[in-house]
Amino acid sequence: MISQIILSGLAIGSVYALMALAMSITYKASEIPNFAQGEMAMISTYIAYVLLVVQGISFFWAFIFALLFALVLGLALEFVFIRRAKEPNLLNLIIITLGFQMMLYGLAGWKWGADQRRLRMPFSETETYDLGGGVVVSQLGLATIGTAVVLMLIIWLFLRFTKLGLAMKASQQNAMAARINGIRTNRILSLSFGISSVVGAIAGMMVAPVTTLDPGMMWDPLLKGFAAAVLGGLTSLGGVVVGGYLLGVIENLFGFYISLEFKSVVAFLIIVIVLYVRPSGLFGRHYVRKV
Amino acid sequence: MFPNSLIQKFTFIPAFVTTQNLQPHGLRSLRCIETSDFFCIYNLQCRLAGHIMSEMGFAFMSAEMKRSYYEDIQPLKGWPARVWFVVLVAVLVAVPFVIKSYYVYVLSLMAVNVIVALGMNLLVGNTGHISLGHAGFVAIGAYTTVLLISGAGVVFPVALVAGGLIAAAFGFILGIPALRLEGPYLAIATLGFGIAVTIIIGRVELFGGHMGLIVPKPEIAGIDFSGDRALYYLVMGIAMLMGFAMRNILKSRLGRAFHSVRDSDIAAATLGVNVARYKTLSFAISAFYAGVAGGLWAFVLGFINPGLFSFVLSILFLATVVVGGLGTILGSVLGAVVITFLNLQAESIQHVPVIGEVLIWISQNFMTVSGLPNVSWIFTGLILILIVIFEPLGLYGIWIRIKIYWRTWPF
Amino acid sequence: MPENDFFRVEGLTKRFGGLTALDKLTFSVEKGMLFSIIGPNGAGKSTLFNCINSLYRPDEGKVWFRGKEITGLNPHRIAAAGIGRTFQNIELFANMTTMENLMLGRHLHMKTGLFGAAMMFHRRSRAAREEMVHRERVERIIDLLELQASRDKFVSQLPYGTRKVVELGRALAAEPELLLLDEPAAGLNNEEKEDLIFWIQDIRREFGITILMIEHNMQLVQDVSDRILAINFGKMITEGEPDEVVNHPEVMKAYLGG
Repeated sequence: MISQIILSGLAIGSVYALMALAMSITYKASEIPNFAQGEMAMISTYIAYVLLVVQGISFFWAFIFALLFALVLGLALEFVFIRRAKEPNLLNLIIITLGFQMMLYGLAGWKWGADQRRLRMPFSETETYDLGGGVVVSQLGLATIGTAVVLMLIIWLFLRFTKLGLAMKASQQNAMAARINGIRTNRILSLSFGISSVVGAIAGMMVAPVTTLDPGMMWDPLLKGFAAAVLGGLTSLGGVVVGGYLLGVIENLFGFYISLEFKSVVAFLIIVIVLYVRPSGLFGRHYVRKV
Repeated sequence: MFPNSLIQKFTFIPAFVTTQNLQPHGLRSLRCIETSDFFCIYNLQCRLAGHIMSEMGFAFMSAEMKRSYYEDIQPLKGWPARVWFVVLVAVLVAVPFVIKSYYVYVLSLMAVNVIVALGMNLLVGNTGHISLGHAGFVAIGAYTTVLLISGAGVVFPVALVAGGLIAAAFGFILGIPALRLEGPYLAIATLGFGIAVTIIIGRVELFGGHMGLIVPKPEIAGIDFSGDRALYYLVMGIAMLMGFAMRNILKSRLGRAFHSVRDSDIAAATLGVNVARYKTLSFAISAFYAGVAGGLWAFVLGFINPGLFSFVLSILFLATVVVGGLGTILGSVLGAVVITFLNLQAESIQHVPVIGEVLIWISQNFMTVSGLPNVSWIFTGLILILIVIFEPLGLYGIWIRIKIYWRTWPF
Repeated sequence: MPENDFFRVEGLTKRFGGLTALDKLTFSVEKGMLFSIIGPNGAGKSTLFNCINSLYRPDEGKVWFRGKEITGLNPHRIAAAGIGRTFQNIELFANMTTMENLMLGRHLHMKTGLFGAAMMFHRRSRAAREEMVHRERVERIIDLLELQASRDKFVSQLPYGTRKVVELGRALAAEPELLLLDEPAAGLNNEEKEDLIFWIQDIRREFGITILMIEHNMQLVQDVSDRILAINFGKMITEGEPDEVVNHPEVMKAYLGG
């Protein structure tokens, strides 16, 4: 029984982990917690829905186009709004992402109304595989976990082995030095927003078939993803992924054994406790200012 | 008329410069000036000149003449400020008799939000923390006040203060982990607190669950304050009192300590400021303001339920202080007024002549008509972004610009 | 008997990982003295100040001040005990005016509480009266350090040299009995350095403060110090009268790298 609950925890944890990863990529590049992440994913998922269900394009191409859209949306957020801020400080930037989030939410509500729709995926939720020992996993759950793992691997390889990935890392660590060495840090910043938007969009497309497709669908995954990212330490990509899975599993265990009603509370309670003990999350480094 | 005022400006300058040269040691030497009538007039001229110079951007000549150190901390310094204050109070008293009762309600809401914003600004603007859970404090204040009155029969003023104090206690507790947290880490901790409060309130029978509670009539010494106007006067009076109290706190030793913690907690500690105490204190005061505002909000609305105190409300509070102007009282007021107005009235953009027609046309051809109210979200979001991008100091910065523009008009 | 000394550091040790920044450092300062600490970069001078202030927790050793042990007290308690300081890289409150910075120096001596502050509506209210009393003290420091021109400016707008003076003024406003100056002359031009020497002597005369100073500028150190302690790699090289220390072969070696 317990392994079944852990497994379904891992499935929802994949979503949290991807949202956390998306948060962390932008945060590392710009130190902005991007609150529009969830709504950007929601809009991209709607695009996939329109292409797939309304226009009737094949799943593969709908998926690709939606991700391209997500990339453009991410670039647009950075280029149109974030870059325009004069003398930006953290709070102003947070307000910009919150404002962008409101705009996207309103746009989705205007275009598609508050109706709950279904995004049909080629993976079924009812078809299940028996992993032995009574542990069952649905096709969709398996696909979710699989996609997340593959995506994380791709991101890791990208950051580790490509020239662009190294440039991203360099400008995250010391923007000034990177600029002196000929890296266009502005473009890197745009790119970080674009990439994280794509990662978020994939998370959105994984959430939509499980819950429903509506303008408010990414609220919970966003907050949990943010929480997971903080739990894992925000600046450590590996850490935030672990944080996501951890949060998914703990939440599921708590929901099953103790109280389903207070499931969401416990997630945040754990985070407050963890932060009290380790102020920069489980895997984050804590910097002490020198005088 | 204008050329005349120009001449006056320039003839005052030499006089001003001479006194400055004679009085390099600031205030103490100025006291003796008062003894002579001649110097009194002289002093007045200097003040005028100093004023104009400062507005013109000549900061080095801008030192205004003062008679006592108290003038630096005095509320409503100088007669123009006093006159404007009296005018403001008169307008606020008269206004409910002129406008529709719905707008009296809107004004009351604005006053309530001003109180929250004052507290929020102390925390965010003056002490340099972030909070995404202020709706939680407002909820605690609202439920405590209502339950104390309807459940325990406590009188209204006591219940209101008690609501604030209970919220302050929670603020103090939340402030303890906050001592070690910064930026996004603190954001998520406060966010978790706000969400936890809403969920717990929604699940507990005592708090009326999801249905919430009906708010009793507010009564002080047998007088019923439940009418729109009466409630408006009550809320407005409390908001004004709390605004002045906050101003005094910020001008005093405590205000400087809060600022010092924001700017450099290390230096603050080596000067004897108990950093931990001031951080938790700012959380507690901030929560007190939110709690009192919550109690008043309950009476303005007439009902409370957990859905009111959502995460979105916390975001709006944060947006209020950032958009209004961080660390200033006027910023809190301007922000609260504008955000409340947007929140309630953004939908009326559909009724604006040309824009409304265009929006309806777009809705019919590209979007859904049923989704039209969502335009208010787009509108609000866009305004937040534009204010923050083009005026980092917020509405307060815009206000200062307008002021300088008018004072120095011919230039 | 350490209780008899005004200020005494005993066997102070601080390690950062494998690096020993302070190695069993022991010295004492008599009341009214100007005691300088010299040493090359990275000798552990600022670490010493940070340990005295409790910004770092020393691994071993004790700090005594006026007969009481103050090792490991909270930084604000150490300030309350009467130790003030300035910083090498200026730690002013950048978004406050010069006046507010100096008034914050008076924090320890003011008593206004939350309620008193909120009720500061009238010039005869207790908070307002206290404010004015302390304002008077701060004006005196402004006059002494000739800061009138920058009184109402935000410190972020002031030039570097003036900021150093403001920081000195802020430390003075707290009326410490022992003042720690961390490289007060660093980054100042010659004229400002001369002013500084003049002020340090003035401060000692007017306020009777004991000063513990870290400084690189040998001229300044020789001019104003009563005693000098030379350290390198966290260890004491020598201690004594200015002339002896400056001409000590080990000190010359440490400075010239020979």
